Amino acid sequence: MSGAPGRSSAQAGARPRSPALTAAVGIGARLLSALPALFGVLALTFILMRVLPGDPASFFVSSPTAGEAELEIVRQRMGLDHPLPMQFLYYLQDLATGDLGTAMTTGRPVTDDLIERLPASLELTLAGLLLAVVIAVPAGVLAAMRPGSAFDHAVRVVCSAGVSLPTFVSGLLLIYVFYYWLGWAPDPTGRLDVFAFPPETVTGFLLIDCLLAGDWATWWSSLGRLVLPACTMALFTIAPLARITRGSMLAVLTSDFVRTAEAVGLPRWKVVVTYALRNALIPVVTVSGTIFSTMLGANVLVEKVFSWPGVGRYALDALMASDYAPVQGFVLLMATIFVGVNLVVDLTYALIDPRVSLS
Amino acid sequence: MTNFNRRQVLMAAAAATAAASLPKLALAQTREETLRFVHGSVWTALTAGDLTGSRASLALSCNVYDRLVSYGRKQAPGGGWEFDFATLEPELCESFTLSEDGLTITFKLDPAAVWHDGSPVTAQDVKWSLDRAVSAETMSKSQLASGSISSPEQIEIVDETTVTVTLPEADRLALPNLAMYLAPMINSELAKSHATEADPWAVEWLRTNAAGSGAYKVERMSPDGAQVVLARNEDWTGGPLPGFKRVIVQSVPEASTRASLLQKGDADLCLDFSPTDLEVLEAADGVKVIQTPQPSGFAALIFNTQMAPFDDPKLRKAISMALPYDKIFETAANGQGAKLYDGAWEGEPETGAFPQPMPYAQDIEAAKAMVEEAGHAGITVPLYYTVAKAGDFDPAAALIQEALAKIGITVEIQKTPDAQYAEIVTAKTAPMLLERSLALLPSPDYFFRIFLNGDSRWNFSSWNNAEVAEILPVARYEADEAAYDTMTRRLVQLAYEETPMVMLWKPTTKAAMAEGIEGYTMWYHFGPDFRTLDNA
Repeated sequence: MSGAPGRSSAQAGARPRSPALTAAVGIGARLLSALPALFGVLALTFILMRVLPGDPASFFVSSPTAGEAELEIVRQRMGLDHPLPMQFLYYLQDLATGDLGTAMTTGRPVTDDLIERLPASLELTLAGLLLAVVIAVPAGVLAAMRPGSAFDHAVRVVCSAGVSLPTFVSGLLLIYVFYYWLGWAPDPTGRLDVFAFPPETVTGFLLIDCLLAGDWATWWSSLGRLVLPACTMALFTIAPLARITRGSMLAVLTSDFVRTAEAVGLPRWKVVVTYALRNALIPVVTVSGTIFSTMLGANVLVEKVFSWPGVGRYALDALMASDYAPVQGFVLLMATIFVGVNLVVDLTYALIDPRVSLS
Repeated sequence: MTNFNRRQVLMAAAAATAAASLPKLALAQTREETLRFVHGSVWTALTAGDLTGSRASLALSCNVYDRLVSYGRKQAPGGGWEFDFATLEPELCESFTLSEDGLTITFKLDPAAVWHDGSPVTAQDVKWSLDRAVSAETMSKSQLASGSISSPEQIEIVDETTVTVTLPEADRLALPNLAMYLAPMINSELAKSHATEADPWAVEWLRTNAAGSGAYKVERMSPDGAQVVLARNEDWTGGPLPGFKRVIVQSVPEASTRASLLQKGDADLCLDFSPTDLEVLEAADGVKVIQTPQPSGFAALIFNTQMAPFDDPKLRKAISMALPYDKIFETAANGQGAKLYDGAWEGEPETGAFPQPMPYAQDIEAAKAMVEEAGHAGITVPLYYTVAKAGDFDPAAALIQEALAKIGITVEIQKTPDAQYAEIVTAKTAPMLLERSLALLPSPDYFFRIFLNGDSRWNFSSWNNAEVAEILPVARYEADEAAYDTMTRRLVQLAYEETPMVMLWKPTTKAAMAEGIEGYTMWYHFGPDFRTLDNA
């Protein structure tokens, strides 16, 4: 089927289905086709967690006088007293009702834990990615316009430095300089000052919730606490984004239609921004999608350094304790987000490039 | 062109963060009266004993709950205070007496004592709390049983303000156990109103809710336990009112961040910082570090006595003669704490205290000859320790590997993730371990009962000595100090002769705090006690 959703109003009369419906069916089919993959991920995590060495019961029961009786109670509570296939069936059964199990480390339902922590990770990742895009895309474009120039080399150096510094090193470095040494940044202990009162939770995104509550002081405070971790994440992601933008722009800038546009005397900025950049953005969007999904799960080090209460840290702590339910819940959540992000990326293609359609 | 984009963003970021710290000024007044405690763990269970609560929860719960009695405290070497196992003082109760025959403990309640919700503390509450401790599926059950309190029938209400606990035998540990965090006193009316048929002792509810009478009330708690705010209980009767009106218990997972917070004065107390931060903190302005040796703590090289090759006591002895004790103490323990080697005695120890310095001395040649004679030359053995204790044990393991190579034993170092390590220790499949632990109560027979007898995971060496098994049940109920001392001296002697573990050093508890904070006390749980702290 040709024609991107929303662009084919001329064809609407000729076809039985409206473009909105076509798009909806396309999205639905995409989501359905992701189900087997999700199931595979689920089964694999389930088995992997149980095959890995480490007995969760003996980790949790650590009182000096505790014996076999206490171990047995914890095993029962974790459902480990059933054979493996039965455990999996019970897990699927609970999953069908939206129950991801109970985390032993926090004693709460995994669903609640994830719902509470996901916005923290999303807020940080989105801020980091936004910062990276705002810096990397213009830098990449400028570098491509003057390949081999001092600026091009500078961008390359900055990118190499950014990508070769592990996030926990750059994080600790930023903390040392801006918190410890200069004293400009607030203490790196999470999303909100300990003395501040959190706004009522609506979306879980502190910046949005503070706005909804009209609490400007807390909004400032939480923005301030977001800056350093977001910069840490951006430092790491600027490199791939800037390199991709530069490469893609270089290819587009030497193509025929750009030469034509320049030949007919269009202003330089119009050629670059309207014609070249729009065509060069597709690989950038693809990479951004992948980076976003990866950052969301992999920013555990940033979350740890800044005491950020996100999902990555939650999953890592659970993994160290062999706490099965949270790890499985986390992997499922990440897989779902990955599917969602890929869908959004594809939809964005259609917006950028009319030749691409969903179905 | 330069990278102006970057610089502008950083400048903007700096400006934004500077502005963000402004609201703090308004809170400066309350900051003075607030203690901010940072730790690497989380406080997941408010009431002690929950089987899945974090270890840090146990000690922290002492600030929210009272016990009937508590240990006294005394000045400690190193500038702080330490708990005094020998003295017991009333905490929630007004007074207590132990009968002549040592079989009945009588508690008189304080008529002024109230729970956090204002209702009076009654004899029914005390009975319910102790009944719960011996009946509910919590850690309390086995702890109280180690002091011969195991059935609700032993706990009786005499009148409105009197409760007695009857013991089948005069157990030395009955009263000390009641002073520990695993015997909290709980507001029974409040807890019962949240009990369910499946959970008659309200274990679930009490995990995230506190129903105590302690020096601090829980004001706020984040669901994951990463942040808990405590407010002083102005009606507390358990002791003098604490100095700080508010306490913030905050989880900061990164050790170096905890150290920076202390150095900047944003945090006031931290007990778990890395060895590398120790020097920095000691040198920092406005921060002081107090090191207190743990009375019943030890770091040791432990052999699995039920498994080849270490079922041979000769090999164990030979290794105890081959270790570079001083080097291990200097590098692994940074020379802090106390030596558990270089003991001056021969044959029989002078005291029955344990752990105490053992008369090990390095003699490589003799050790080598002994290994060869016993036919173990050329063997390879793995040495396990947990990642969590790698700070101390990485250098110790390397030194042991080097030393044992000289007597013909190849050591494979197995640094193992925590949960996996816990499984290995429980299954007792490791031939050799490096372990650091402590007995909660510094009583020699208790130490042997936990670490050197029986089949619990804490008997790391799986040592099974008939004479020890014979002495322990007698020593536990021995009221005569001289007779008790004779028995414990024999225990120490046996542990030296058979060498189920080679004692290396006694670790210190390190506490870093703001310069002005006074009254730091090292308790048996080595966690923070905010009740004794004050700002000078």
